[in-house]
Amino acid sequence: MGECVLVVDDDREIVRAIGILLEGEGYRVLKAYDGKQALEILATQPVRLVLIDVMMPKLDGLSALMRIREKQNIPVIILSAKSEDSDKVLGLSMGADDYVAKPYNPQELAARVKSHLRRYTSLGDIHTGSRGGEIRNGRLAYRTDEKILYADGEPVKLTATETKIVELFMHNLGRVFPAEEIYRRVWEEEAFASESTVMVHIRRIREKLELNPKEPEYIKVVWGIGYKMEKQEKGN
Amino acid sequence: MDTKWKNRKKAISFIIFFLGVSLAIGGFAGILKNKPGSVRFWQVGKLLEDDYQRSGRFRSYIAGRLENLLIMASGGALGSVSTYGDGTSYTFYNYGGYEWYDGFRYYEDGGYDDDAQWEWENYRYAQEQYIDSLSETLDGIGEMWDVYSNILAGLTAESGENAGKELESLREEIGAFREELESYRMGLRADRAEAEAEASTLPETEAGKQEGIEKANEKIARKYHDLIKGDQNLLYSVSRDGKVLYANAELSAENGMAAAPEGYNFLLYFDGEKVRIWKDGKEEDVYGDGYYREEDGTGAWYVPGYRNFPADENLKNVTVCMAVAKDPFLYVKGAYENGGSRQYDNTLYWMNYNTASSRKVLLMDMVCLTLGLILLLLSAICRKNRREAEAGIARFLGKIWVECKALYFCGLFFGILYYIRRASYYLWGEWEYAFPEYYTMEGLSVWGREILEALPTLLILLCFWSLFFLWKDLKYNKRIWKNGLIARLYRTFSSGNLNRPLSKRMAARNLAVFLCAAVFGIMMFALAVYGRRGYGNARGIWGIGAAAVLGVFLFILAAYLAGKKNMETARDLEELAKCVGEIRDGNYKDFGGQFAGHDLESIMEQMEDIRCGMEKAVDEQMKSERMKVELIANVSHDIKTPLTSIISYVQFLKQEEGLPEHVKEYVAILDEKSQRLKNMVQDVFAVSKAASGELPMQMEELDFGKLLRQTLADMEEEIGRSPVVFRTEIPEEAVMIRADGQRMYRVFQNLFQNAIQYSLEGSRVYVSLRRDGRMAVASVKNTSSQELEKGKDFAERFARGDRSRTDGGSGLGLSIAQSFTEACGGEFGWETDADLFVVRIGFQTI
Repeated sequence: MGECVLVVDDDREIVRAIGILLEGEGYRVLKAYDGKQALEILATQPVRLVLIDVMMPKLDGLSALMRIREKQNIPVIILSAKSEDSDKVLGLSMGADDYVAKPYNPQELAARVKSHLRRYTSLGDIHTGSRGGEIRNGRLAYRTDEKILYADGEPVKLTATETKIVELFMHNLGRVFPAEEIYRRVWEEEAFASESTVMVHIRRIREKLELNPKEPEYIKVVWGIGYKMEKQEKGN
Repeated sequence: MDTKWKNRKKAISFIIFFLGVSLAIGGFAGILKNKPGSVRFWQVGKLLEDDYQRSGRFRSYIAGRLENLLIMASGGALGSVSTYGDGTSYTFYNYGGYEWYDGFRYYEDGGYDDDAQWEWENYRYAQEQYIDSLSETLDGIGEMWDVYSNILAGLTAESGENAGKELESLREEIGAFREELESYRMGLRADRAEAEAEASTLPETEAGKQEGIEKANEKIARKYHDLIKGDQNLLYSVSRDGKVLYANAELSAENGMAAAPEGYNFLLYFDGEKVRIWKDGKEEDVYGDGYYREEDGTGAWYVPGYRNFPADENLKNVTVCMAVAKDPFLYVKGAYENGGSRQYDNTLYWMNYNTASSRKVLLMDMVCLTLGLILLLLSAICRKNRREAEAGIARFLGKIWVECKALYFCGLFFGILYYIRRASYYLWGEWEYAFPEYYTMEGLSVWGREILEALPTLLILLCFWSLFFLWKDLKYNKRIWKNGLIARLYRTFSSGNLNRPLSKRMAARNLAVFLCAAVFGIMMFALAVYGRRGYGNARGIWGIGAAAVLGVFLFILAAYLAGKKNMETARDLEELAKCVGEIRDGNYKDFGGQFAGHDLESIMEQMEDIRCGMEKAVDEQMKSERMKVELIANVSHDIKTPLTSIISYVQFLKQEEGLPEHVKEYVAILDEKSQRLKNMVQDVFAVSKAASGELPMQMEELDFGKLLRQTLADMEEEIGRSPVVFRTEIPEEAVMIRADGQRMYRVFQNLFQNAIQYSLEGSRVYVSLRRDGRMAVASVKNTSSQELEKGKDFAERFARGDRSRTDGGSGLGLSIAQSFTEACGGEFGWETDADLFVVRIGFQTI
């Protein structure tokens, strides 16, 4: 039996659906239908990750989150119908590790759960801090000597050009590069029709390392200016 | 009915009060004016004394007369006696009509130790003067005589033989006049000769002098006797050594009253030592305790016989008997040879007359006073009503201009001055002596009494009521100066009557300036004409000059005030214009209320109301929008939860293997529609937020062209799959604008998706970016596959190219594009031309 995941939502069907989804991935799923129940289970069971809804009876998600954080450092993913940026910011600032808006994409949700669990169990405590020759950003890590990008500790298969682009971004976290500059530095040629060329590559990279390529978290377009690697506040 | 009665009560109570006070004051003033000086105000009995013989005047008159008679009996000089008591004074240094009393000479010479010497000198001096004046007159007549003689001689010489009738008559007239002169001269010469003869006969020796003085005294005494003897109201008989010297009636009073004739009720007898007086048959106490006093003011008899005022040795054998008529008559002497009738002394008659008449007046005054006091008592009972009436009168007075009041009081003041001056020049002259320290309070009171006497009772009443109403005016009308010409002028220029229309206020101001200018102009013109013509006195010039200066002052003042006011109004107008602009721009800030009292106050207030109304309306709108957004947010949240389950289970269905083919098809449809529903929910939420202005924006500088290229690159796959071709015309150089890149990406994503979705198969979509002045305009043109409905608002929410709503769009694409563009500060426009659909998005370049 795999790791223990707690799913909390007042909608039993959703809990059941997530249960099916995650059990399919090999996790043991515990179910709770309000915050209080969740806290009770957490007190007795060795839960490794919590998926929690915000709006629930008895004890809402955010309050429950605060109570969890008083004792435990396990990953908590908020699952809410509220998709506003402000809601996300509030949730994350309360101590959540991730925020997934409903209606979620099942694959993405499964990937996120996997990613958080991996980081928490295999990487979280073992690889603390930045080792030499490794640039870390959230769930990504780029080993400069090997020129290999790791996502959740697993190497990502990238082409040479893609690796160059990722290297450029990882070395300059948060900096915005216009397409022309990326083109010049990666292809080492004068820029010509750079936008679409760069965009194609970036789309491919995203598909390889983003959990949800349609809503990228790492490689982002700064519209009207260029592209950048978002520096993740969270993570190790 | 009730109010009417109340009003009447008020009026009646005030009339009672008015009459009461008027009568009391009138009576009091009348008594003060008419009472004899020696009688106090409260001595009612004495005030109403109808017997003139009881008055102090009578006593002093009789005493004075007795003194004169005693002087005559003892052979003294009458001239040294002045009998002021009876209201007349006699001067007897009289010679042939020449009278003088040369006090100056008397004092300068240090006086004469011998009365007789002085009398003599005076007598001689009068004589000399008389002779001198006769000589002067004679000289004058002589000159006239000569003049007329010359004229007559000239006339005679000129006319000669052929003198006309007129000339002849003139000559006769002159001749007659000359004869008259001649006879007058003769008479004067005779008088002079007589006087000179008399002067020459007077001996220069001491004895002769004495004789002369005695003679003169006797002559004066005789003359005095002649003057008074005709007044039969006072009978007298003066005897010495039993021999009657002067008498105008047979009087013997040896046995007391016995000799008093019929009609005479007052009898005085001086027996050489003491005076005895009988009145109405009863003897009066003349001497009291035997000491003469003046200070108690009771009017003791000023006659010899007191212990401190004994009779002269000389008077030992003199007896005087006097009788006074009960009802005196007026005695007139016919002296027609001297040019008409003459009245005798008649003092007693007039005394009696005056006593009777003043008694009548005093009685009336007292009645007035009493009545007035009674009325005052009455009015005290209904003083509440009276006060209301006074308040009413004060209300009326409040309507009168204060200048009128000031003018009235000035007039009153000068009226009083006029009366004082008319009554007595000395009173006027004493004005300036009223305050020096030697002017005691007593003097002031005398002076005050004189003023009181000088003023008619009516004027006093007028003064009183004027002051009374002034007091009431000041009491009830606070700040009486607020109603007046100057105050009105001031108000015209200051806040003014803000209820009046602005145009009238401005017109009034302009009129004031115009009038002042006109006064000034007229004055200047008058000055010019006056000065040029050269007529008129200097005072006129000065007057007009002063008026002109006043005119200048008024003009400048009015112009300054009007200008100031206009300036203020202009400034307010500016402010108002600014306000209007602000409101148009949607800025509903409060613009402060510093317009109190200004012309535009009401307009500004209305403006403020409009502003408040708009602010409120906008607030309301925002609130309702926010509520709408909230509603949509809630609804979308409520939809999302079941949608999550749907999507999840559809996903599981999709993964299920071994399903029949048609079931798989159903699952695919479910999958697609659930995805669309998810998109729609998100879009609805976004568009409602954008429309309500609640969308958080991250404005940054970005390259418009790059944005378009990035968007196109991002959608490359989608475009490649579509049956349309994109033609782009985007400049290479940067076109910098300020917008939220993420939102603008959504905008163009929607536009391109629309173009892909609704374009005719195989047609081209043109995407271009142009600079148009300061604007950068991006346009997306596509040929619609469907016929475009004319006049349809495609940007409206849920509007779509086709009505069936079976395609994949949420129907919010254009709506979101418009909302987001406008939220970023851009301009969004679209148009259709036949099947061509054009969207333009413009931003200001930076």
